[in-house]
Amino acid sequence: MNRKVIRDAAGQALSWFASSLTIAVCFGIIAYLFVKGSAQINLDFIITEPNPTVNQAMSGGISTPIVGTFLLTVIGTIIAFPIALATSIYLAEYAKKNMVSSLFRTGIDVLAGVPTIVIAIFGLAVFSNPQLGVFSSMVEGVKGANRAFGRSFLICGISMAVMILPFVIKTCEEAIKAVPKAYMEGSLAMGASKWHSITRIVLPAANSGIITGVILGMGRIIGDTAIVWLTLGGTLRMTGIQPWWSPINWISTLRNTGSTLTSFIFFASPAGEGNQPEKAFGASFVLIIIIILLNFVTELIARSRKTVKEE
Amino acid sequence: MEQIELVDNEKILSLTRQERFLVKIAAVRDKICEFGILVITIISAAVVLFIFGFILSKSWQIFKINGLGFVTGKGFDQQVLEAFNAPPGQPVWRFGALGLLIGTLATTIGALVIAIPAGLGTAIVISELAPNYYVKSFIQTVIRLLASIPSIIYGLVGLLVVVPFISKTLITNDMQIRYIPFFQLTGNSILAGIIVLSIMIVPVIVALSVDAINAVPKKYKEAGLALGLSHWRTIVKVIVPAAKSGILAGIILAAGRAVGEAIALSMVTGGIGNIPNPAHGPVYFLTPVLTLASAIVNKAESMSTPSIEAALFACGVVLLITCALLSVFTKIVEAIVKRREGIE
Repeated sequence: MNRKVIRDAAGQALSWFASSLTIAVCFGIIAYLFVKGSAQINLDFIITEPNPTVNQAMSGGISTPIVGTFLLTVIGTIIAFPIALATSIYLAEYAKKNMVSSLFRTGIDVLAGVPTIVIAIFGLAVFSNPQLGVFSSMVEGVKGANRAFGRSFLICGISMAVMILPFVIKTCEEAIKAVPKAYMEGSLAMGASKWHSITRIVLPAANSGIITGVILGMGRIIGDTAIVWLTLGGTLRMTGIQPWWSPINWISTLRNTGSTLTSFIFFASPAGEGNQPEKAFGASFVLIIIIILLNFVTELIARSRKTVKEE
Repeated sequence: MEQIELVDNEKILSLTRQERFLVKIAAVRDKICEFGILVITIISAAVVLFIFGFILSKSWQIFKINGLGFVTGKGFDQQVLEAFNAPPGQPVWRFGALGLLIGTLATTIGALVIAIPAGLGTAIVISELAPNYYVKSFIQTVIRLLASIPSIIYGLVGLLVVVPFISKTLITNDMQIRYIPFFQLTGNSILAGIIVLSIMIVPVIVALSVDAINAVPKKYKEAGLALGLSHWRTIVKVIVPAAKSGILAGIILAAGRAVGEAIALSMVTGGIGNIPNPAHGPVYFLTPVLTLASAIVNKAESMSTPSIEAALFACGVVLLITCALLSVFTKIVEAIVKRREGIE
């Protein structure tokens, strides 16, 4: 009997140990970043452009990486969201249960599990085709080279859209399917057409789930490094016509490369060329704040959805 | 008998001509919109197909020339260098990615060995042992946060904390001198990769295991307790076995993430395609390696050479097939779970 009690207690203790270890690691990482990163944060760091030099005093801040992260998130979401929403409406409401649709679903599942680095080389190789040079610039000055550069904000945004597409399709489809059948039936019984019922009844009912899916997709874009590193290149500054922020040069900015917070961290870490861990910590601090904010927003949405359901 | 008068539908609604026209317009608009989403769905299906087709076609040449040799041959680093410096007209097409494959396997399996007990223990605490709602939701929030930290941050922390720790505490000067003929011991190693990866995949295992444990019918637990088993015995002998397919799905998903992780691993595992030798004993875990995914990151600079591009795509194909198999496995396991829930 006594042995059994000890065995039970040991098992429980091990479980508690495992979970407290996990929590400790999480807090350890965040606390480490906060301590190391907050020392770097000041207005100058946020608003000056980075400068590729080893000299600490000259290397500048993270203004363009923040803009780059923002740009990519916007481009990726704008491209992926309408496509994903339309596809998920079709899959949830119109698609018949047959071979083709189940094959397509499997394809989406597989694509959702594909490592982002594979999407990254895919994007780079596709847009290196000279016919698609409009998305970036053509390679010049290399003898016999007839190919596009294959790296730009547009290309990176499109690759990001491809990366989050299966994920957003799945979450949107689940959100639409979670709407009670009675809503749709009620609307149809009132004489509304199917399309009308979907757009006016089902989608508004599903919108918190859909928004959550989109925000999670944005989080994946913000946190991704592999795609940025390959399809946006290892540059730090905006390489378009300067000044990059003036509206006349926007097209050129989009067709050229830059950096995001994640690629800045990679560049500034000892693994990259910059080797300024302090700057990397500063950027990580900003990145993790953004991620925590996004998490907070999804939590709020989830909570509001729960209260609506209970009512 | 009452006489039933058949009346035209539209007369009952007493629509004017203009209104009837509007109804028709609305119907046409509906049709157009429905056709529109069908077209978009076909486009996204085409994108999915195109990605798979494109990656396979790009790497076709490699598999045609090397056959299975691509996954059994050695010396990827050297071959990439040769291919990059090859004189025009004589491209190097021989590649062997055995080292990368072993690096991927070693880091993934090692990470799973750490992450499975840690994840399962955490899941049990969340779903069964937590004394109240606040502890439970607190742990769950932390896990969710851990899941959403970008991999680059894990890489950075790994590179600046884990790697120096390994090189300070585990690597001695004697060891460095002894292993110089094989590789340089810097702390960038399988072990660093395993530690970083295991932290990254714990949240996946926890999330799916909690769902699986919560899905176990309450009567199982009640029956176990009623038979006089202690709470812990019930968890170990009744609840976890009943939830095992869901837990397995979590583990498979986590393995998929570990296999595909590129950036964090390229930062901490050293980026050299050594084949770790078990004969070295514990130093096995200190060997710098390169994984399939991080090889693509490291060698992407030389992608302008067609044969290197093809070789990297071949790495991509191996990853793609592995991950596809893993997600098919997950689907099968999920189907089993669903069927069981349907029966019971």
